[in-house]
Amino acid sequence: MWSFLRRRALIIILVSVILLVALIGFSMRDREEVSLPEELLKDTIGWVQGVFQVPVRFVTDFFDDINQLKTTFEQNEVLKERLSEYKDLLYEVQALEEENEELQALLEKKDADSLRDYNVIQASVNGRSPEPLWMQQLSINKGKQHGVRPNMAVITAEGMVGKVTTAYQFTSDVQLLSGFDRNNRISVLVQGKEDPVFGLIEGYDDKRESLILTIKSTDKEVEKGQLVVSSGMGGVFPKGLVIGEIESVEMDSYGLTKVAYVKSAADLYDINHVMVVDRKMNSPEAPNPEEEES
Amino acid sequence: MTRIFPPLILLALLILESTATDQIPKQWLIGGMQPIPHWVLLFTVLIAIFYDQDNSIYSLVYAIIFGFLFDFTYTDTLGVYMFTYGLTIFIVLGFKQLLHPNFIVTFLLGFVAVFFADHLIYAMYYMIGFADISWSVYLKNRLIPTMLSNLLFLMIVYPMYRNRLEKWSFEHFTQK
Repeated sequence: MWSFLRRRALIIILVSVILLVALIGFSMRDREEVSLPEELLKDTIGWVQGVFQVPVRFVTDFFDDINQLKTTFEQNEVLKERLSEYKDLLYEVQALEEENEELQALLEKKDADSLRDYNVIQASVNGRSPEPLWMQQLSINKGKQHGVRPNMAVITAEGMVGKVTTAYQFTSDVQLLSGFDRNNRISVLVQGKEDPVFGLIEGYDDKRESLILTIKSTDKEVEKGQLVVSSGMGGVFPKGLVIGEIESVEMDSYGLTKVAYVKSAADLYDINHVMVVDRKMNSPEAPNPEEEES
Repeated sequence: MTRIFPPLILLALLILESTATDQIPKQWLIGGMQPIPHWVLLFTVLIAIFYDQDNSIYSLVYAIIFGFLFDFTYTDTLGVYMFTYGLTIFIVLGFKQLLHPNFIVTFLLGFVAVFFADHLIYAMYYMIGFADISWSVYLKNRLIPTMLSNLLFLMIVYPMYRNRLEKWSFEHFTQK
């Protein structure tokens, strides 16, 4: 076999280069649907990955716990102080929620069409791509069977980390915020003292390690430290997911838009458990069947 | 029975690569440093040297299959690792005919394989547009950490698997 290959080395290499270009071209296009063999293969690998994760998690968690034990005392002091503040806040929130419900009832507004409502699907990370910087990709252990669909937002307790690119039956691929480009923008709100300012997250700056936020309305003031949350206007993500904090604001080179750099709230390099966000309001990609009939 | 051990080990390594990447310190990644584990490639180099007979190409087949699995599991683009690993093992098989299998030769071939494969991957990702760093930055941030970590891996695995691979090879090719 080897001697056969060696005699025809040139032809074989040329043919495989052609195959390579075809394969790259095939996989570069955006596909919503995946074929059955792909799903089978991906889910099998995902299952093996999950098995491997168990002992690894155990060991890493053990060392994390030891590290945390060292700082427990100081943390406890700080947390005790915070706790009393939170109690006051809780009463305030409850009162506001009740008031909000009453007002909504007054307006006869239905709960279902709020942009803010969503269900979460808990998931664990199966693994990060061994190309950590060029492929900002994770795989998680929940898939179509658990209700995960492409384009759903993925969050941790701290904030948004990315979105689902492909959903298989029992696993899904997640693209991290640091891998976002112009093809997947996020419509966001900058929360300030006055009215919120609308903007678009347009990509990720590798050198500054922050998200690029463009703001069209130049008359509004945007400051460092303001919170950036999703607006729900893009039609994919629900309203109110925390994305990050503004680090610096600049005018763009034409002076027409403001460019702000946003530091993501979630730690994109240390992710173990995530939540997939299923927006209750229908996304444009998945129209309501009742609407189609009428 | 023993002939399924090499692919099983390769599958385990494929998954451990991702686990190992999770353990890379955060500061390295933020600084742009990225040691890439090419463990599957190095183990197929070992298979090429110690498992394959003069006229068999198991290592080449494994390289292509597991390169494809890597592309499929961890990247969006099919074919890059498959082609790279395949071509690298093809070259390693060519060299193997000329050299006597010992530690120095294994080390040298492992070095050449990782050096060549990582450059090819960088070149392809650069052309597609995933990697937007210049060659000098690539050299400093990616190639040197990758070479060091992978050669360390080879030094650990070589003494563990050399004799075993030769034994499995003997059982495989004499039972026919």
